[in-house]
Amino acid sequence: MIGREECEAILGEALRLSTAQEADFFLSVEELALTRFAGNSIHQNVSHSSAQLHIRAVMGRRLGRAVTNDFSAEGIGKAVERARLNAQLMPEDPDFYGLPTPARPSLVPSYDEATARFTPEGRAEAVGTVCRKAQALGLNASGACRTGVQQIAVLSTRGVQAYHASTFAGLLITAMSDTSSGWAKGGSWRLADMDVESLAEEATGKALRGRDPRSIEAGQYTVVLDHYAVDDILEALSFYGMGAQAVQEGRSWMAGLAGQRAMSPQVSIWDDGADLAGWPVPFDAEGVPRQRADIVTEGVVGAPVHNSNTAGKEGVASTGHQAHFTGGPMARNLFMMGGDSGTEDMIASTRRGLFITRFHYTRLAHGKGCVMTGMTRDGTFLIENGRISHPVKNLRFTQSYVAALAGVEAAGRRTKLVLNEVGFATRVPVLKLSSFNFTGVTL
Amino acid sequence: MDELIARALDLAAVRGAGYADVRVEQTDQEQYVVRNGAVDTLSVDQSIGFGVRVLVDGAWGFASSHDLTSSEIDRVTALAVRIARASALIPPQPSLRNGGLGGVHLGPPVTSRGSYTTPVQVDPFSVSAEAKLALLLEADRGMASVRGIRVRQGSLIFIRQQKTFANTEGAHVQQTIYESGGGIQATAVGQGEIQRRSFPQSQRRHQGCAGWEFITRMDLAGNAERTASEAVALLSADHCPSELTATVIIGGSQLGLQVHESCGHAIELDRVMGAEAAFAGTSFLTTDKLGGFQYGSECVNITADSVRLPGLGTFGWDDEGVPAQSTPVVENGRFLGYLMSRETASVLGLASNGCMRASSWNRLPLIRMANVSLEPGPWELEDLISDTEKGFYMESNRSWSIDDKRYNFQFGTELGYEIKKGKLGRLLRNCTYTGITPQFWNSCDAVCNENHWEMWSTPQCGKGQPGQLAHTGHGAAPARFRGVRIGVLK
Repeated sequence: MIGREECEAILGEALRLSTAQEADFFLSVEELALTRFAGNSIHQNVSHSSAQLHIRAVMGRRLGRAVTNDFSAEGIGKAVERARLNAQLMPEDPDFYGLPTPARPSLVPSYDEATARFTPEGRAEAVGTVCRKAQALGLNASGACRTGVQQIAVLSTRGVQAYHASTFAGLLITAMSDTSSGWAKGGSWRLADMDVESLAEEATGKALRGRDPRSIEAGQYTVVLDHYAVDDILEALSFYGMGAQAVQEGRSWMAGLAGQRAMSPQVSIWDDGADLAGWPVPFDAEGVPRQRADIVTEGVVGAPVHNSNTAGKEGVASTGHQAHFTGGPMARNLFMMGGDSGTEDMIASTRRGLFITRFHYTRLAHGKGCVMTGMTRDGTFLIENGRISHPVKNLRFTQSYVAALAGVEAAGRRTKLVLNEVGFATRVPVLKLSSFNFTGVTL
Repeated sequence: MDELIARALDLAAVRGAGYADVRVEQTDQEQYVVRNGAVDTLSVDQSIGFGVRVLVDGAWGFASSHDLTSSEIDRVTALAVRIARASALIPPQPSLRNGGLGGVHLGPPVTSRGSYTTPVQVDPFSVSAEAKLALLLEADRGMASVRGIRVRQGSLIFIRQQKTFANTEGAHVQQTIYESGGGIQATAVGQGEIQRRSFPQSQRRHQGCAGWEFITRMDLAGNAERTASEAVALLSADHCPSELTATVIIGGSQLGLQVHESCGHAIELDRVMGAEAAFAGTSFLTTDKLGGFQYGSECVNITADSVRLPGLGTFGWDDEGVPAQSTPVVENGRFLGYLMSRETASVLGLASNGCMRASSWNRLPLIRMANVSLEPGPWELEDLISDTEKGFYMESNRSWSIDDKRYNFQFGTELGYEIKKGKLGRLLRNCTYTGITPQFWNSCDAVCNENHWEMWSTPQCGKGQPGQLAHTGHGAAPARFRGVRIGVLK
């Protein structure tokens, strides 16, 4: 595996070979091992080691980019020259405000040796625990167990220098009967947080309780959303609007709402790349330390996250949210404030509603208000008179996520970390919402 | 290169692999983005690496690396074998997925040999960056000539993927696949609304296995002003009405995506057998439906192929070395065939139809659509509209979502028109339609002819864990559907 010294050597070589007036270099390295299972057995089992060097060359106000994974001196030399030549071809960029200046990111110890050293046999053992439990219950388990190491490093002609290594371990499970399915997902930056037994219990329990679902009419329902469904809401709100570029262009749900109450006072959402309770990444692809960003505070919309470009346009400082080498800024380390309710309390206080485990294939239907459409999946239950009465077939919804969060009636006291793609995670509570718009049912 | 490949195959066999294959890939990619008159991206990417896939004791292992050295070949091959042995610790139960036998069976050996290069008239990598940027900047000026556009974006992408595949059964093939893609988007913001129009299709660009000629034929600049004008007009257009049983003519590019989501994914045999159950989902097209299920009406004919240029799924061999081919999926509405790998085909006693593709050297091949297309019918579009007393025309995808069995879908389109007494009427915004896949395709009563048929594209189709983005082609012409629910957003 490429380690810190080699990362710094690759960046140093790029800096040495660059003849651009200025440049910065972003190196990302991933060691990923992933074991997939289906039908209570392992069917795909992979490992990869990959690294990419991203080069941004600056000639006056002209920017050129190149990417390579050829780390020979010749390969790096070709790429830095290509970036410089690309810069010369570009017109001047009026929105370029200079490369970021050095700043010291927080030291975030999110590297766990046991996680980094986890073996194929160890993953098989975890998967075996799940499969044996499912089989004993007459269920069919599918899912994935992944572990790995992610390293990022930045070096620039302005003196920016940053390195971070983190680990990750995650397990997701779908347990299925002939008529139902149940879901569980867990993990964090350390293996010890991946509680295999309890995740298996959660997924199989939901699959057993979900058997023989009945069809119900679409319409408006009060809903209790499990952590996974709340994760989907935060992910969509991030993707479709927490970045300053989308706000500046009027495409974001946040556009025009700064300082206004758009959600329930029970809703506070923030991004914090240095919090070990999340999946921390302490600086961005420009080497700028991630600042905590308060997106919504007690229902009042705050400010979006910035990279150096969007920050320059507004004359503010970058919040360190240039997640990738290209594209706009993005909030990726999200948290939602919990409340003082238990899930059972939320169900008990619901006369008629739905308990929803998670959403599936959610897509933006309209940008204004972040209107999303998608399906329920892996455990949807009808609540009647304060108790779960029976499982129901999956429903399609078409619903503004902003409007949905305006109707938060209660938030769970326990928050859960939900890992998504590498470096993107949310820590969220269970929520009770007064109304959610279901527009169709499936077979 | 060949020495490294032979080394990996030999080492895999020595370490106990009953089967092994190796892919070595180099991908070069150029990307250009012009946004609001400024060049946002001019990027050149190169990625080189290899992957080793082995079958040991009836179980799979795969490992990969960007470091093409003999010592790394040895390490990665040994790791692939170790991973396969770990897979064998949790072996398959006798089930549908393995034909009731347990373990993996690949069917007849694959011994393909040869080379393939995408035919191109003009190598896109031979065209200067200045010419590419000039084309995008001209299109940007065209969009800028329309007042009311907040975001103008144009992009071009060019990909050259060189790969060598070899296996322990004697296959050895080399391919160079070219792709060229481009498109423009205009976003209008105002009157409390956001509206976007794209050209030639949404999803940022249209892409094909072709050269620079694919881009010049699009005429992005010539369509820029119209595209922007439509976005502005949509801000004040009437909302799509809500109706439960409307007649809808779906435009070609939108119907291409409909085929992709409701047919292409549903016929992936790995999904059917549960391999994607925890992620993308399964499929309602279970194996008991093969050959007899009425998927659509008599006028619905769908073909899967990897030979029809400029479809994005056109190649010489798939990533198991199986030759490119064309197979029927739906004939006169009847469901006839899946997309298959060697392993899944053997479960049904069939031969693979060459659908295994990996997005990169560091990914395992999965069953992916190549080109899945709705074949043309007999109708001229003008005649079809004239034949529609009351209905709606919807074009260019804006949103898409479908359930985990590929039954319940909902699509939004960028633009719609009312049809009244056989003529296109008022412009409509925020159009949506929704339905259940077999009910929808069985409601199709007319498909337009080859004059209106085009090979559209899905340049970023996600599947698998770790995630993979495939490039797929979908031929389609406008078609008419009866009794469709529309207007969910109103």
